[in-house]
Amino acid sequence: MTLDAIAERVRRGERLTPEDGIVLFHHPDPVAVGQLANEVRERLHADRTYFNRNMRVEVTNVCVASCLFCSFAKLEEGAPGAHTMTLEEAWRELEIRMDDPPGEIHIVNGLHPGLDFSYYEELLSGFKRIKPDVHLKCFTAVEIHFFACHYGMSYEQVLRRLLAAGLDSLPGGGAEIFHPEVRSRIAHDKATADEYLEVHRVAHGLGMRTNATMLYGHIETFEHRVDHLMRLRALQDETGGLQAFIPLAFHPDGNGMRNLPPPTAIDALRTTAVSRLLLDNVPHVKAYWVSMTPEVAQIALRFGADDIDGTIVHETIYRSAGSRSPGALSTAQLVRLIQEAGRVPVERDTFYRTICEHPRAAVPEAAVKVRDRKSRKHLEVLS
Amino acid sequence: MSPLVRGAIEAAGLADVLEARLRGAAPDGAIGRLREADLLVLGALADCIRAREAGDEVRIYIREPPAAQAPQAPPQGERELTGSDLLREIALRRIAGPPNAPVRVDWTRCGLELAQVALCFGADELAGTIATKRGELIAEGDLLGVGKKSRHESAREIKRKELAACVRRSGRVPVFVRSDAGVEGEEIS
Repeated sequence: MTLDAIAERVRRGERLTPEDGIVLFHHPDPVAVGQLANEVRERLHADRTYFNRNMRVEVTNVCVASCLFCSFAKLEEGAPGAHTMTLEEAWRELEIRMDDPPGEIHIVNGLHPGLDFSYYEELLSGFKRIKPDVHLKCFTAVEIHFFACHYGMSYEQVLRRLLAAGLDSLPGGGAEIFHPEVRSRIAHDKATADEYLEVHRVAHGLGMRTNATMLYGHIETFEHRVDHLMRLRALQDETGGLQAFIPLAFHPDGNGMRNLPPPTAIDALRTTAVSRLLLDNVPHVKAYWVSMTPEVAQIALRFGADDIDGTIVHETIYRSAGSRSPGALSTAQLVRLIQEAGRVPVERDTFYRTICEHPRAAVPEAAVKVRDRKSRKHLEVLS
Repeated sequence: MSPLVRGAIEAAGLADVLEARLRGAAPDGAIGRLREADLLVLGALADCIRAREAGDEVRIYIREPPAAQAPQAPPQGERELTGSDLLREIALRRIAGPPNAPVRVDWTRCGLELAQVALCFGADELAGTIATKRGELIAEGDLLGVGKKSRHESAREIKRKELAACVRRSGRVPVFVRSDAGVEGEEIS
């Protein structure tokens, strides 16, 4: 199967096969693969490119799991670098930002064996007390699975209690790579692929919306990536509850796979593009700037991504693994990144409802000056 | 060139530019259209020309940093060039610049990630200093390595291997060049 044959099928609206996915990952021209993904992206969203005003909170990095790729977790309380916020400390993260409050709080934690379940319920209800309309996108499917096992509840019981406390949706973290050949080596002691997918299935059954991720660029093959995407596509066919897919680039610093090189930018762009093409039933594909740097994320907006995530404010998981991305981006910076990619910035809420649509071409004067200066050089070259 | 790429170039109204360039002629009067073109179409066009003129080799120039000098940040104002702008600029240099002139990217200034992507947008040379990813310069004799090989390998050699791997993973062939004397071409950072 050639890229041109795949392109014909994409244009006819036909679903791509796993074999097509392998061809796309191996194709020697990543820009051509990106062009095809861009066609799909523009068919779905035209130039609209989403971002939100969100804030990350990681209340504890104490974690019983020993994932090889993780530089964030500490095995037990009291270990060097281990931290667990008190509820007041966690709530304070929101209180100090109430002059320009986030619309969404995104909480991801380690699997802490020593906290009561009520800690998490109070955590959520406390945030809602401070800002009743804040959207709480909290706890990966891996955390929900851990809660169910640790506190002796079903997934549905865990989710219903957290919903009652203020939970609004689930983030996509913890998916890593589903295929057991990889998962058994890099994440053997946490939720399996089936358990991860089942948590999402139950959440969707309760009317919740969730995201999904894939951690790529370590020991997996392209076949494993395609298998991962196919499993997500099958879940989405069944439930329709996934809002966005987020490819996450592996970062090697300070973890059990630190001898591996990180995935390159071309790999990041290609993976974004192939994800857009294979996940024909997932509305949004994110270019998560924390994982791929803001510069590459901006380019990914031409390789199939339609969302650049949000302001983040405070992220420690990727920074622990050596990410060079800044800790936060302002809304003005996000708007500018999107505008300079030739797209239309749309501030959204977590459910992709429009909060504010920004103009297309309001490029800051400084950038125009640089472009003009560069273009003059070109004209000189031509003359 | 695949029909997909050719179709995109034709749909963007740039087929004449490609034909002219492949004949060795300058694409006179096309700069306006090129600047307005879709970034990926521009990249595809530049990559076709690069493949014809420069082949798959990527020449890598490792610069020695001035002694005892801290890592240099790009001057204020230079940071205004975003990733998209940089790639557009590189593609324009390849398409509208003198035929067969090398197009070089400085990874010290734009980052290795963008420099690698630039290889798909018409660049055929990389240049920069050997540094950690946080920008700290690596001196001759510094040791690096992880696990059992911790601090047993030359840090500069490791970084050279990383550079070569980065080029290979973009589908190209790395060639380290000791001196850049006599090389003509414009550098973009």
